[in-house]
Amino acid sequence: MSDGQAGGNLKGFYMVFGAVALIGLGALGFNVASKAMGTAAMEPVDLEEVREDLRLLRDLAVPVVKGDPDAPVTIIVFGDYLCNHCAAFSLRERPRLEAEYVESGKARLVFYDFVLDTRPETGTFLAARAARCAGDQGRFWEFHDRLYRSQITWGMDSDKLGTFQEYGEALGLDSREFNGCLKSDRYAQEVSANWELAQALGLGGTPAVLVGAEGGMSRNLPDYYFETIQQAVDEVLGGSGTN
Amino acid sequence: MVVAILALLGFLVSLYMLAYALGLVGQVICGVGNCEAVQNSPYSRIGPLPVATLGVAGYLALMVVSFLGLQPGFQGSRAVPFALLGGGALGVVFSAYLTYLEAFVIHAWCQWCVSSAVIMVLAFVASLPELRRIGDSK
Repeated sequence: MSDGQAGGNLKGFYMVFGAVALIGLGALGFNVASKAMGTAAMEPVDLEEVREDLRLLRDLAVPVVKGDPDAPVTIIVFGDYLCNHCAAFSLRERPRLEAEYVESGKARLVFYDFVLDTRPETGTFLAARAARCAGDQGRFWEFHDRLYRSQITWGMDSDKLGTFQEYGEALGLDSREFNGCLKSDRYAQEVSANWELAQALGLGGTPAVLVGAEGGMSRNLPDYYFETIQQAVDEVLGGSGTN
Repeated sequence: MVVAILALLGFLVSLYMLAYALGLVGQVICGVGNCEAVQNSPYSRIGPLPVATLGVAGYLALMVVSFLGLQPGFQGSRAVPFALLGGGALGVVFSAYLTYLEAFVIHAWCQWCVSSAVIMVLAFVASLPELRRIGDSK
């Protein structure tokens, strides 16, 4: 090979090498920048300023409510989307509670997110945000139940964002609006505050079910079964004379 | 030249895995297999060090050596082919061990780890003609 040929080959090699390096490092840089820019909030935000003030925290920890706001009894549930007992509660016990108490106006259901494993890769924080994004289009509970029905599927999935987008499409949500919400930090503060509140209340696990009279103290129940909740709700209703 | 390109590809794959291990990227892109199961397994670290660090260092070394081999001053050197073949062989053995872990211990595949193993084998195969260079320089 002549020097001229060798020089030409080397030049070509350096060009290919440079192009591959540029594309590879560019793609990696984009990935890192996307994470840094927080395109999709995947984990709780720091709420140091409100952590010590329970009143502020309660205001920020907006729950999702179902039923008559003036119902005499409040059933509060703290749930995590990858907890299988929460799935059992939502899919098996909740429909009975709704039929018996919520639809009749005797109680209202208040749901708080309690993300047990806050690591982004578990996708539970994103799931909580996704359900609330679906709530923007009035489909919170449908999405919430879908997450519980499919928790093994999306729990094992590596592309959770894509999976949630598919769930949104299957529910007939406006994709652009839903995906825009999902890929932002919308509801990150609310879900984070829910999580902080659960910790401030000393709740040890999920689902945590609390029952109380409107405006009064709530009692943390020992389990989430319909019969246990029924007994607690009936006691409050009996006490308030509205049964 | 082929080894340098392959080393660059391996370096980029390892760098991506390292960025993931350090939490610099969000979810790992994983079309095939279960990358997160592999990356979150106890075998993804050696002490406090992510395994990907070894990949980054190894491929970087391979890249530097293959670049040196292209320089006129190193054309007759036996050190470059020795380093390429020795490093390649070490890389292949280590990649085989990681692939064994995926198949029989973790029971999950990571497309990036498999890609890295394939790249390492290709780089080693591409270094084999260097044997002739060692023979010639005797």
